Amino acid sequence: MSEVRTPLFRLAKREAMSREKIWAIRVGSIIIALILGCIPIMLTGNNPISAYAVIVQGSVSRPIYIRQTVKIAIPLLGCALAIAPCFKMRFWNIGAEGQITMGAVAATFFALNFAKTIPSPLLLAIMFITAATAGGLWALIPAFFKAKWNTNETLFTLMMNYIAIGIVAWLQGGPWEGRKGSQLIPMFDDAARLPEVFRVHCGWIIVLLLVVLMYFYMNKTKQGFEIAVIGDSVNTARYAGMNVGWIIMRTMFISGAISGIVGFMIVSGANYTLYKGVANGVGFTSITVAWLSQLNSFAMIAISAMLAILEKGSNTLQTRLQVPASIADIITGILLFSMLASEFFINYKLIFRGRDKKEVNA
Amino acid sequence: MKRISCVLFVLLLVCGFAFAGGSADKAAPAADTNSNTVKVGLLCIGDENDQGYTYNFIRGQKEATELLKADGINVDWVIKYNIGEDATCIDANIEAAEEGCQIIINNSFGFEPFMLEVVDDYPDIEFISCTNSASAVDGRENTHNAFADIYEGRYIAGVVAGLKMQELIDNGTITPEEAVIGYVGAYSFAEVISGFTAYFLGARSVCPSVTMLVSFVGSWSDATAESDAALALADMGCVMISQHSDNTTPATAAQSRGIFHTGYNNDMTAIAPEASLISTRIDWGIYFYEAIKAYVNGEEIPQDWCKGMADGAVVMTELNEAIAAPGTAEKIAEVEAAIADGSLEVFDTSTFTVGGETLTHAFALDTDGDFTADSAEAVFDGAFHESEFQSAPYFTVQIDGIKWLNAAY
Repeated sequence: MSEVRTPLFRLAKREAMSREKIWAIRVGSIIIALILGCIPIMLTGNNPISAYAVIVQGSVSRPIYIRQTVKIAIPLLGCALAIAPCFKMRFWNIGAEGQITMGAVAATFFALNFAKTIPSPLLLAIMFITAATAGGLWALIPAFFKAKWNTNETLFTLMMNYIAIGIVAWLQGGPWEGRKGSQLIPMFDDAARLPEVFRVHCGWIIVLLLVVLMYFYMNKTKQGFEIAVIGDSVNTARYAGMNVGWIIMRTMFISGAISGIVGFMIVSGANYTLYKGVANGVGFTSITVAWLSQLNSFAMIAISAMLAILEKGSNTLQTRLQVPASIADIITGILLFSMLASEFFINYKLIFRGRDKKEVNA
Repeated sequence: MKRISCVLFVLLLVCGFAFAGGSADKAAPAADTNSNTVKVGLLCIGDENDQGYTYNFIRGQKEATELLKADGINVDWVIKYNIGEDATCIDANIEAAEEGCQIIINNSFGFEPFMLEVVDDYPDIEFISCTNSASAVDGRENTHNAFADIYEGRYIAGVVAGLKMQELIDNGTITPEEAVIGYVGAYSFAEVISGFTAYFLGARSVCPSVTMLVSFVGSWSDATAESDAALALADMGCVMISQHSDNTTPATAAQSRGIFHTGYNNDMTAIAPEASLISTRIDWGIYFYEAIKAYVNGEEIPQDWCKGMADGAVVMTELNEAIAAPGTAEKIAEVEAAIADGSLEVFDTSTFTVGGETLTHAFALDTDGDFTADSAEAVFDGAFHESEFQSAPYFTVQIDGIKWLNAAY
């Protein structure tokens, strides 16, 4: 009998696991992440427990800190909602950064030119609509090429980001520049700023509405069903008579439009001006939010809140303990990595060579 | 739903930490109980590693700390590095204010509009915007500007460069027409234009045949672009490089091409000993000392602070005697004295022309917010009076003898 060479370990899909076990893995991964996070903190010469305490205090211990945290969470949540339908369709839209930026550009155009002539509510409505349209159209370009010639959407949407950022860089130093040579676009007039509700710009109401709408759209509508079918199998969708190209373009337009709205909320509610870093990585971070929440709209609220707490808290960590900002980024990275890894171990198991043999012998 | 409960659990866990560490929170803003301790925030665009702009602020911060300690005042500094000229600056100001800072210093020009978004929420905190100009005139009590007469230092650096080029001409190394300065500028921005014009006038005061090429790199801090611009200027025949940008790469570029250099913000002779003659820098310690002392004594921090060489707010770094032209040190002392006693005006209108004509009129201030100066006549008594109507430079005239290679930035 010839010896069968098996690798040292191999992966296998797990059978359904008990609830308790799943939770044990999840809780365990977070505890491991928190313990691993102690290492970079200790390297800076600080006590990990007090560092974690500072992160939490800096994000939720005072009303203003909570407001600041919410301000960070709004675009993350909004953008995660935007890319969810694309990802559901297995269309890898990593161009949200650019779609946010183009929405912001459109909103800024009206904010700079019509703040004195159009009454505030109307102006904000125009900014909202044009930002959504601009973001949607920007997203439509790669979708059109995908639908028509099956181009690679990952690269295409990624490249579109840099074009959008380049356009803003040009506007910043060119036609929209305030004081010559300053590279700064003037701050918006009050008329072009989003009103505040509970002292945070009302974008939080908009994104919460979007959460409900997106949940409804993805789970209860025909269009949501079409997206899910294409995600599972393009051929099935075709066989069922769906116009796949059209659905791709429609979905990307919706996705880009929501990103554009996020861009509008950022410039009008938080930054009050436009600059090339307007999206500030939100378009990429929100991919993590969407993934971790497994495209569930309501789960995104919690995930984006958690990331916002980490970001705001790490800002305070830097201020109080004078540690480099990158330490906080490392901790965030460890936590996210552990959470993704726990999902992996919930779905797969490792089988080692030795154990395997025993099973065979038995 | 499982995922939600999972995240809720995390939140619960971290909240536990919040309560566990609650006592630490109360200990944080204890600084102001002692009247002789003041908590000051310093928000920086870079960090000390730039060996230029932010490094120069940190030097000033350390110097002021020592000076104040001698007066019995302790400063508890909260320094935040690598803040962008964007909305993160709003957050950084809020953060510094909430963490108990009584004075918050914003070190970069582009911070000001974002800082001004925060100031009304904290009327008891003094906000300072270095190198910008809106805070002084916004009608608020708690916002301030500060700058120094850096054009004086630029002029002297120009004199040092001019003496060196004249020496090269006298030695026959170059012809008079070949005395060309290459200037690496960040943007075609008043502060930069004022600086290189003063530098050029200083050089021409001792080397009459000098001309200058200016290359704008479109960034305050881009080591590679600054180096590339300096190398390109060298290739166009420049024999002297100077800069208004944050890095030391123009100095090393000049050394690699065997030409000379004068710097800004920091002594660059250690980095380019065979090229860098001298640098000029603002000594922020003077201002920090005055402003913090005024605050502790219950006096007003000046709305718009601006001092020059006479008060030590602008200083020259050590002259690189090994390569400077003979007699340079004496000449520096002479010009410094002349600037201090007012007998020498840097922007003396008899020393330059604009389109072949003498400059007779230029406004200093922008009052209507369209970013073009429209009031306060700066030309009188035979000179353009820089930094008198506001601390931030406002000289934007393009004079004859200086060629802008690219005005795109």
